[in-house]
Amino acid sequence: MSTSTVAPVPPGSAPSGLRGRLPTSGVPLALVSIAGLVLLLSITRVITGADDLTSSGTAGAALALAVPIGMAGLGGLWSERSGVVNIGLEGMMIMGTWGAGWAGYQWGPWTGVLVGCLFGAAGGLLHAVATVTFGVDHIVSGVAVNILGLGVTQFLSVIAFEGVKGAGESQSPPLDDVATVSLPGLRDPLLTLEKHHWFLVSDLAGIVRGLFTGVSLLTVLAVLLVVLTYFVLWRTAFGLRLRSCGESPVAAESLGVNVYLMKYVAVVASGAFAGLGGAFLAIVAGNGYREGQTGGRGYIGLAAMIFGNWRPGGLAAGAGLFGYTDSLQLRRGGESVHALLLLLGVLLVAGAVALAVRRHRIAAGVSVVVGAAALAVYIQTDVVPDDFTTMTPYVATLLVLALASQRLRMPAADGLPYRRGQGG
Amino acid sequence: MRRVTTLASALLAGALVLTACGGSSDTSSTDTTPGTGDSSSAAKSDLKVGLAYDIGGRGDQSFNDAAAAGLDKAKADLGIETKELEASNGEPESAKEERLRVLATAGYNPVIAVGFAYSGSVAKVAKEMPDTKFAIIDDAAAVGDNIANLLFASEQGSYLVGVAAALKTKTNNIGFVGGVDVPLINTFQVGFEAGVKAANPKAKVQVKYLTQPPDFSGFGDPAKGKTAAAGMFDAGADIVFQVAGGSGGGVFEAAQAAGGKAIGVDSDQYNTADPKVKDVIMTSMLKKVDVAVYDFITQVNDDKFTAGTTVYDLAKDGVGYSTSGGQIDDIKTQLEDYKAKIISGEIKVPTS
Repeated sequence: MSTSTVAPVPPGSAPSGLRGRLPTSGVPLALVSIAGLVLLLSITRVITGADDLTSSGTAGAALALAVPIGMAGLGGLWSERSGVVNIGLEGMMIMGTWGAGWAGYQWGPWTGVLVGCLFGAAGGLLHAVATVTFGVDHIVSGVAVNILGLGVTQFLSVIAFEGVKGAGESQSPPLDDVATVSLPGLRDPLLTLEKHHWFLVSDLAGIVRGLFTGVSLLTVLAVLLVVLTYFVLWRTAFGLRLRSCGESPVAAESLGVNVYLMKYVAVVASGAFAGLGGAFLAIVAGNGYREGQTGGRGYIGLAAMIFGNWRPGGLAAGAGLFGYTDSLQLRRGGESVHALLLLLGVLLVAGAVALAVRRHRIAAGVSVVVGAAALAVYIQTDVVPDDFTTMTPYVATLLVLALASQRLRMPAADGLPYRRGQGG
Repeated sequence: MRRVTTLASALLAGALVLTACGGSSDTSSTDTTPGTGDSSSAAKSDLKVGLAYDIGGRGDQSFNDAAAAGLDKAKADLGIETKELEASNGEPESAKEERLRVLATAGYNPVIAVGFAYSGSVAKVAKEMPDTKFAIIDDAAAVGDNIANLLFASEQGSYLVGVAAALKTKTNNIGFVGGVDVPLINTFQVGFEAGVKAANPKAKVQVKYLTQPPDFSGFGDPAKGKTAAAGMFDAGADIVFQVAGGSGGGVFEAAQAAGGKAIGVDSDQYNTADPKVKDVIMTSMLKKVDVAVYDFITQVNDDKFTAGTTVYDLAKDGVGYSTSGGQIDDIKTQLEDYKAKIISGEIKVPTS
C-alpha cells in the first residue's frame, strides 16, 4: 500500500515484536512492517496451502476495495484536521456515485470523476455552511448530510434516469471504465513465478503483480492523493494553518489565520475526496451508479482514519487492512480465513509470552485464551463457514485496534464549537 | 446568535423535507404509460390495480421490471387503471404498511406487493382491509382469505441452468454467487447444484454469498460481486451463476475480464444487461414474474380470485431458461429432456 508517507506511530508505541534496534517510526517502520507481514503471510501460506493469501488476484482486489475506503478516510482526515467532525462522508460519497453515474454516461468517465468530486464537494459545502457558519453540532449536520445524500440522489434519479435506456429509478446507464496501466514486462513473468508456489518468491511475485499490473488510473490517482495530502498538510504553511484550526482555533485566530476559511476549504475538500471515492465505486468497481452501492464505506473510511491516528499513512494502512481482508473473504473466504486463524493464533500466543515477560498478567491471559481458541478452531475445521468469513474485515480491524493502537490522539479541538472572535 | 440558530434549523428542516421528496417517489401511471402499447383501444375494465415495488423499482432490469412488464401488459390488454409506488432502501416496516394502505384506501383493488420483504405488512394490512384483495410475490408466510401468494419454483429453473453449466464447463469447476444468504436465494443454489451434479458428477460448485442477513447490501454492491466472481475464476471456475440482484453486473464484468462465462437470473439478462458484457451471458434462469402478475390480474378481472399459494413452475412456464445469444443451442435438446422429466415428475428437484 501507499505507505511511503510517515506512519502515525509515536516513538515507543510500536508493537512489541518490533522493538530493539528496529526503527520505531517513519518510512523505515512501514517498510519493516510490510516485509514482516509478507514473510508471515508467506509462512502461513506454505503451511496451510491457502494459496489465495498472497495471490495477485487477492492483492489487486484488495487495492481496488481499499481505494473508496481510503478516499473517504482522506476526506475525514482533511475535515477533522481542521476541527470539523465529518460523519456525513457516507452521504457525500453517495452523491459522488450519483454524480459520476449521471455525468459519466453522457460525457465519458473522466467527466464522471470530476462531477462525482463536485457533487461530493457540494455535500461538503453544505456541511461546512451548517457547522462553520451556523455552528450546528457536527454530528447532527453530518447525519443530515447522510440522509440528504440518499434522498436527493433518489429524487434526482427519478428525474434524470427515468426512461433512459439501460437505466432506471435506482441506477444509471452503464459507464465506460477509465484506462488501466501496468508496469511493463511484468505481467506474464510474474504469473509464471506465482504459479510455482515457492516460499516467499511466489508470494512477492503475486503481490507485486496484483499491485502493479492492470491498475486503474483512478487507483493511481488515489494513491498519489494520499501522498499529496501528507505533503500539503504537513509540509506547507497552508497545511500548518489548517491543522492549527483543528488543534486550537483560538490560537490560530490570534496569529491571523482565517479559521472559517480554512475550515471551509478543508470540509469542501473532504467532500470532494469522499465524492471521488464514490466515483471510483461507480466507474471502476462497478459499472454505473446504483442505489445503495456505497454500503457504509463512508463510515468505514472514517473508522480507517481513526485507526490511522488521523495521519495519511495510518489511514492508508487501515484502508489496506480492510481491503485485504475483505478481498480474502470475498474470494476464497472459507479457505483463506481458515489459514488466517493459524496466523492469528500463533501471533496471539507469541504476544502473550511477550506480555507475560513484561508482567502484564491479565492481558497475557486473555491473549493466550483467544489465541488457543483460534488454534483449536483451526485444527478442528477445514474451512470457515460463510456466516463467519463475512465478518473478517471488521474483526481484523477491531483486533488490530485493540492490540496495537491504544494511543490514538485526535486533533485537540476536533468537533468543538468555534465562533469567530471567541478568543477575545 | 439566535438568528444564526434559526437559519440553521431552517436549513436542516429544508434538508429533511427534500429527503422526504426523494424517499417516496411515486409514479402514478394515469398520465404516463411507459412501455405500453396503445391502451385506448383496449377493452375497458373498471379494475383499479395497485402495485408496490420492492427496492429497485421500475427500471431495475430484473425482478421489479418483470412485475412492471406484467402490469403493463395487463393494462394494455384489459384497459385497467393502475397505480405504482416505489420502495426505498432501508425503509422501516411501517413505510411498507403505509404504502399498501395508501393503495387500498384509494380504492385500488387488487393490490400487488412485489417481494418477500412485504410479508409482514401484507399480513397486517390485509386483515385491516378484508374487502381488498392482495397478492404477494415470493412469499408464503402471509396467509389470509384475501391474500394470494404467488411463488416460483426457482429451484427448477436453476436446475436447468445448472445442467447447462455442467455440460458447458471445460474445467469441471463452476461458481455460484448469491447476493444475501436468505432461504429464497438458497433455493436457487440447491437447485443449481442438483442440476450440475445430475449432468456432470465430476464438476464441483464454489459457493459464495456476498453478505449475511440482516445486511442486505449484497443485492446492490457490484464491487463485491466482481471480487467474489474474480476469485472463483482465479480458482479455476469457467462459468459463474449469479443470483445477486444489482451486484450481478460485477459478476458479468469479472467473467469478461477472466474470459469466462456467466449465467443471469430473473429476466433474460442477455438483453437487459450492459451491452459491453452481454457476450459472456451464456443463458439466464428466467423467473417470469410478469406472467404471474398478468395471470393474477386477469383472474381478478374474471372474478376468479383464489386465495392461497400458486406455484409458478416449469409446467406453468413460470420459470425456465433463456436462449438469447445462441450459446446453448447445441445442448438445447438435452435441456428440454431434463425439463420434460421435471414436469413429468421423473426428476424431483430438491428445494433445501
